[in-house]
Amino acid sequence: MNSSEVYRRVVGVVCRVLNVDGSLVEPESHFVFDLGAESTQSIQLVAGFEAEFGIEIDAEAALGVQTVGAAVDFIAQQLKDKG
Amino acid sequence: MSGPPSAPEVAAVPDVGGDRAGRMEAGAERLRPIFAPRSVAVLGVTATPNTVPYDIFYNILSSGYQGTLFPVAPGKKSICAVQAYRYVLDIEDPVDLAVVVFPADVVDRALEQCGKKGIRGVIVISAGFREMGAKGQAREERLEAVCREYGMAMIGPNCLGVINTDSAVRLNASFARKMPAAGRIAFLSQSGALCTAVLDYAREKQIGFSKFVSFGNKAGVTEIDLFEYLRNDPQTDVILLYLEELREGRRLIEAAQQVTRGEHPKPILAIKSGRTPQGADAAASHTGSLAGEDAICDAVFREAGILRVASIEELFNAAILYTNQPLPAGNRLAIVTNAGGPGVMATDAAIRVGLRVPRLAEASMARLRGVLPAAANVKNPVDVIGDARADRYTAALEAVLDDPNVDQVLVILTPQSMTDIEAIAHGVCGIYRQAGKPIACSFMGAADVGRGIRLLQEAGIPHYILPEWACEAMARVQSIRQWRAQPVGDADRLPVDAPAVRAILQRAPEGYLDEDQALAVLAAYGLPVPPHLLCSSPAEAVAFAEAHGYPATLRVVSPQIVHKSEVKGVALDLGDAGMVRAAFERMRRYLSAAAPRAEIRGLLVRRMIPAGHELILGTKCDPAFGPTVMFGLGGIYVELFQDVTFGLAPLGRATAARMIRQVRAGRLLEGLRGAPRADIENVEQCLVRLGQLAADFPRIVELDINPLIAGPAEAGNAVADVRIRLAPRNDSFENPETEKTREQQ
Repeated sequence: MNSSEVYRRVVGVVCRVLNVDGSLVEPESHFVFDLGAESTQSIQLVAGFEAEFGIEIDAEAALGVQTVGAAVDFIAQQLKDKG
Repeated sequence: MSGPPSAPEVAAVPDVGGDRAGRMEAGAERLRPIFAPRSVAVLGVTATPNTVPYDIFYNILSSGYQGTLFPVAPGKKSICAVQAYRYVLDIEDPVDLAVVVFPADVVDRALEQCGKKGIRGVIVISAGFREMGAKGQAREERLEAVCREYGMAMIGPNCLGVINTDSAVRLNASFARKMPAAGRIAFLSQSGALCTAVLDYAREKQIGFSKFVSFGNKAGVTEIDLFEYLRNDPQTDVILLYLEELREGRRLIEAAQQVTRGEHPKPILAIKSGRTPQGADAAASHTGSLAGEDAICDAVFREAGILRVASIEELFNAAILYTNQPLPAGNRLAIVTNAGGPGVMATDAAIRVGLRVPRLAEASMARLRGVLPAAANVKNPVDVIGDARADRYTAALEAVLDDPNVDQVLVILTPQSMTDIEAIAHGVCGIYRQAGKPIACSFMGAADVGRGIRLLQEAGIPHYILPEWACEAMARVQSIRQWRAQPVGDADRLPVDAPAVRAILQRAPEGYLDEDQALAVLAAYGLPVPPHLLCSSPAEAVAFAEAHGYPATLRVVSPQIVHKSEVKGVALDLGDAGMVRAAFERMRRYLSAAAPRAEIRGLLVRRMIPAGHELILGTKCDPAFGPTVMFGLGGIYVELFQDVTFGLAPLGRATAARMIRQVRAGRLLEGLRGAPRADIENVEQCLVRLGQLAADFPRIVELDINPLIAGPAEAGNAVADVRIRLAPRNDSFENPETEKTREQQ
């Protein structure tokens, strides 16, 4: 899966979970500061990414992922490692 | 949500130059956007009730805030039906105050936007800063930098928030459950959790607040800035403070004195917790080991006029009395009771805390005899007897209030079957309004007296479950009166020979000064150093002793020998020339064997000082608070009794006199059980001179005079032993004031 496809699907999850308009979401968007993620929604986001991409995300590692772009990079790496 | 409160225009970043009053005014002006904002933005609001970000917004909305409120909630269209904004920069109207509830890692970004928006006040509720270690500390420093860059006053981070009950503002920018009632007390706390407990306690006791401030990590606004603001706050009569960390002692003193003295003085009562012995263990001298943070804190508070108490109960007990009653003219207390035991307990408590329970005037006792049964006690405490009803209480209360020997009254009631509690409460309420003297009540019990207590509290009459608490509160209010009457203790400057000390210190390396040098330092500053001579031969020592009289003493002087007696380096009570010569030879022989590597500079000979009271006088240069002076009981009792007190250097005669009176050693000097009085005035002078020395030469890290022998006044005082420890040589230790002094001399 190429990175633009990962980005498109990440944005889809973000819009669905955070209930925000896609026009607000950019690679630099911070989940909390720019998109208003509440603490429970952060957990829902991780679950949403896991379901969307069929991967398991380590909760500790997910803490460091704070922007949409960082999530795309993180998931792309996970998919690559998975082969 | 419209219509701004009648707050003044928000000032631009103030110029903090100018005189003290000007600086304080400017400091107070900086906080106006926090206490009287015309508009507030809450940054990081969420839509989930019972979370801090939501509750903060909801509390402002529901507490009747008189300004305009903006929620900043990215991704939300509205919060509680109020239009939300993605960023604070999206708000078109001006914003005075931002309340930030974002998680810690994005608070700096939020503050950046606040700065760009031109916001002047911020409250950072979020936790995750200095209290979390190095990473949090770095985050906090970043917030400080942003606030500095944009000239924003910041409360927090890691705090509960701010409440202002002023009807023109009505701001509850906190996550406390309910807005407290309006009152005359400002409560400031470094602990947020304590705030919620205090608010709950106050609601139960019907205590109101003017301002309620949780200032958390105090990365921006500190208790000192808050003092400056509250000094002229028309809604505040008294300030209560809970403090965990004291950072700027000197500035605190300056600001607090402006509040506690002056035209419209307001008392400050404080709890200072976090008593840590750090530093004391590492200190080498008595003064150093006793000068822990807590002892210095006591000194700072005393100097500042801040009354230190140990519990929340004590804070409010005194504050309730102060805010509801006139100040008493003196410390004389009359007690009216229907129970003998509690009357005696109250008398004991009153005397213990420094009040007097005087005999009533003959006319008052005659009047009481006329209205009370024969079995009643008309002396003080006045016992109206167990079957007393309201008429008897009222008559007794009126009689003691009219007594010229009485400054304040405590009414004690125990609920007995015939006691008409509510009628008695009504009677006290009726008298209280015209009394002109403070009245406190203690209706002892719980269920039966509950309604009566409620009546008293509604009338603003201070009520205490225990009479002892009433006495303690009255004693605190007494202290407030005494503080105001006390002369301002500006430091005295006595003539001294600073250049001589400078010359000695310039030559001396880091560590302990040799005893002869230390004595020379003291002599230059006018301390009573007895004549002495550093000798290199028995003949020299004998010649000195012959000239100055016997018995004589010999003491070794060596940079390597600090504890002289451990190497038999002290010889006392040498009654004639032969004894001096023999002791000299013996000491020389012994030292060459016991301390072969020590450089012996000589033996110091002097006439033996006659016995007297052994005192300790010392100084310590505290890294946080600068030079301090210690006074107490010296000799072998220093460690045992720790009967010492501290003052901040330089100090004046009045402060020195207070220090002496504060410890038991002071009573010894007055002359107990027929013993002659010591030269206390000279001890005062010694303290002033030591303070001057410590302030002039910060290179003196620690100084111990232990003991200073205080004999009868005609014999005078004498330094028997001294140790001075110096910091490394460094130009930064030169105090510019010393230069000034030298020029004056």
